[in-house]
Amino acid sequence: MNDIAIDLQRIVKTYKSGSIEVQALRGVTLRIERGEYVAIMGPSGSGKSTLMNVIGCLDRPTSGNYHLDGIDLSALDDRALAKIRLEKLGFIFQGFNLLPRTDAMKNVSLPLFYAKVSPRERRERARAALAEVGLADRGHHKPSELSGGQQQRVAIARALINNPAVLLADEPTGNLDSTTSEEILALFESLHRAGRTIVVVTHDEEVAERADRVVRLRDGLVLSDTPTARGHFSGGSIVPQEATPQS
Amino acid sequence: MLDYIRETLELMQANLTRTILTLIGLVVGVAAIISIQVAAAGMAAAVSGAFRGINVNTFFIFPKSTQGSTQRANLGLSDLTLLEQNVPGIETAIPFGQTRTIVSAGHQHVMLKFGGESYRRFSTAPVVAGHAIARTDVENASPVCVLSSKAFARLFPHAVDPSTVLGQSVYVGPKRYVIVGVLGPATLSTASLGFDINNDVVIPYTTFYNDYQRGRPLFGIQVLGSRDATLATLEANAKRVLSQAHGGSIYQTFDFGFFTKQIDGFFGVVGTIVSAVGAISLLVAGIGIMNILFVSVSERTREIGIRRAIGASRATILIQFFVEAFVLAFSGSLVGMLAGLGIGELAQQLFIARISGTIAALPWTQAMLLATLFATVVTLVFGTLPALRAASVDPIEALRYE
Ligand SMILES: Nc1ncnc2c1ncn2[C@@H]1O[C@H](COP(=O)(O)OP(=O)(O)OP(=O)(O)O)[C@@H](O)[C@H]1O
Ligand SMILES: [Mg+2]
Repeated sequence: MNDIAIDLQRIVKTYKSGSIEVQALRGVTLRIERGEYVAIMGPSGSGKSTLMNVIGCLDRPTSGNYHLDGIDLSALDDRALAKIRLEKLGFIFQGFNLLPRTDAMKNVSLPLFYAKVSPRERRERARAALAEVGLADRGHHKPSELSGGQQQRVAIARALINNPAVLLADEPTGNLDSTTSEEILALFESLHRAGRTIVVVTHDEEVAERADRVVRLRDGLVLSDTPTARGHFSGGSIVPQEATPQS
Repeated sequence: MLDYIRETLELMQANLTRTILTLIGLVVGVAAIISIQVAAAGMAAAVSGAFRGINVNTFFIFPKSTQGSTQRANLGLSDLTLLEQNVPGIETAIPFGQTRTIVSAGHQHVMLKFGGESYRRFSTAPVVAGHAIARTDVENASPVCVLSSKAFARLFPHAVDPSTVLGQSVYVGPKRYVIVGVLGPATLSTASLGFDINNDVVIPYTTFYNDYQRGRPLFGIQVLGSRDATLATLEANAKRVLSQAHGGSIYQTFDFGFFTKQIDGFFGVVGTIVSAVGAISLLVAGIGIMNILFVSVSERTREIGIRRAIGASRATILIQFFVEAFVLAFSGSLVGMLAGLGIGELAQQLFIARISGTIAALPWTQAMLLATLFATVVTLVFGTLPALRAASVDPIEALRYE
């Protein structure tokens, strides 16, 4: 088994809108090991979400290589990429992105539905996942009947239910107040302790401080890649590397 | 799959008015097509019911109405013998005619159809008591009668055994007829396709002529052909023979094939119109469904994005929207089918049953197949574009705006 969860080599992502080309990523090289808790920071428009989309197999890089859990993704078609998203990745969004008309149980069990798990097992696992995020008694509530923090916890339960290799969160606390943010971050920490690989995009230094390592982007390039105080103290196997921005 | 279906049903419920408006066209289209089929099947059953009650090798001959009622063309008793003797294959020819009259037996007075019959029988109803009209009865114009099961039941409501009424008499005004036979109930009452010749009470046609038609030219002649004769040939020969005898007058014939053709023709025309209406409403319905699906896709762009991010492939999304289209189309077709069967059944009860006394069984299986077929066609024709659009939703775009 490979110890590298995410291996990005010189990832370039160019958007074409009409005649204008926007280089959202201009050659990002990044390695994230299994079990790491990484925060990605950077000013608005620096390419954080684009990077997350590439990591999350929602978008293909214009050039560069990407291995997820040892699998080369460049050769895969839509169906295979969907399978990767289903089995290896869990997404958490700023806006929670739960299905609005569907109760918490169904939202959480949706990935299992796509994974063709039997309805009975789906129900059992969804119940367990909701219990894990502290929402055992909210299974039949629709998203509109839940607070923001609760919705985000439902989203986390959904992201975790397929036991993914990597958890990806794009500004997971962006829509939450500080108390609820703290709940979510505590949840991330316990997941991290349990050995989960987590990548979080954030604007918030305090959120980033909770991770082991902070990757800073600027104009589509890695500006710096440093362990946090926490990362140093935990004495992990992370070798800090200064990025060398190419012009 | 079941989840998709359940979800679609929930969506349909949530947008009930929109759903109903969308599906009306489909309901109307399917209902129209299915009801006309039921009615046509009922009519076909009615016609074959008519055939069952009466000898198939029967035809009627009348002076052609367009030449006016010239004396020359008038038919008389002599023409009966003329036909029997000069047209090979004709077994018997009798005056066409019947009367609806009050018939009495004891204290019972009932309105019945009363008509002539030959010793070679036009009716195929079995004789259950006594005997049919005999040759001597015809030759002597005897005052005897044979009761159909219906006449027997109505004239003698308390009699159980038909043989007990043999020898008793029925009266039409002062005229008295001795009952010599009773027919069985097995026959379906014959269709009144213009001419109903399966009479409730039959007497020898000669007696009928003497008592009810004397002194007038015959309205028409009713002919029984032998089993192996071809009706078309018989009819052509009969017309020729009569024409020669009446100085070139023209005659026309009718048989059940003619009536069947008339009915088929009628249902052909009605069927075409109804099918056209059905087809148009299906088209409109399809476009309506396509529209509601497009709305659904754009309303749920974000949802599609979420599903894709979670692990649904394009193909999965495509299937989901096809299922949705099919559930929508199928529920409309199903309601249309039920309505169509209902209307068809009503038409049978109100019109066809009155004529034939029979009702064709509702073609449930056929209707179900038809409804499924419609739903499938509508889904494929009108669901493909919306489903493709849903499948092509870019998850990043869909999830970007918050
Ligand atoms: N679909 C697209 N078409 C054209 N340009 C795009 C597209 N998506 C992103 N971009 C551009 O790529 C650059 C990076 O965008 P991205 O969303 O990754 O930034 P971000 O770091 O997530 O910003 P924020 O902090 O505001 O979320 C921006 O300049 C953006 O305008
Ligand atoms: Mg962003």
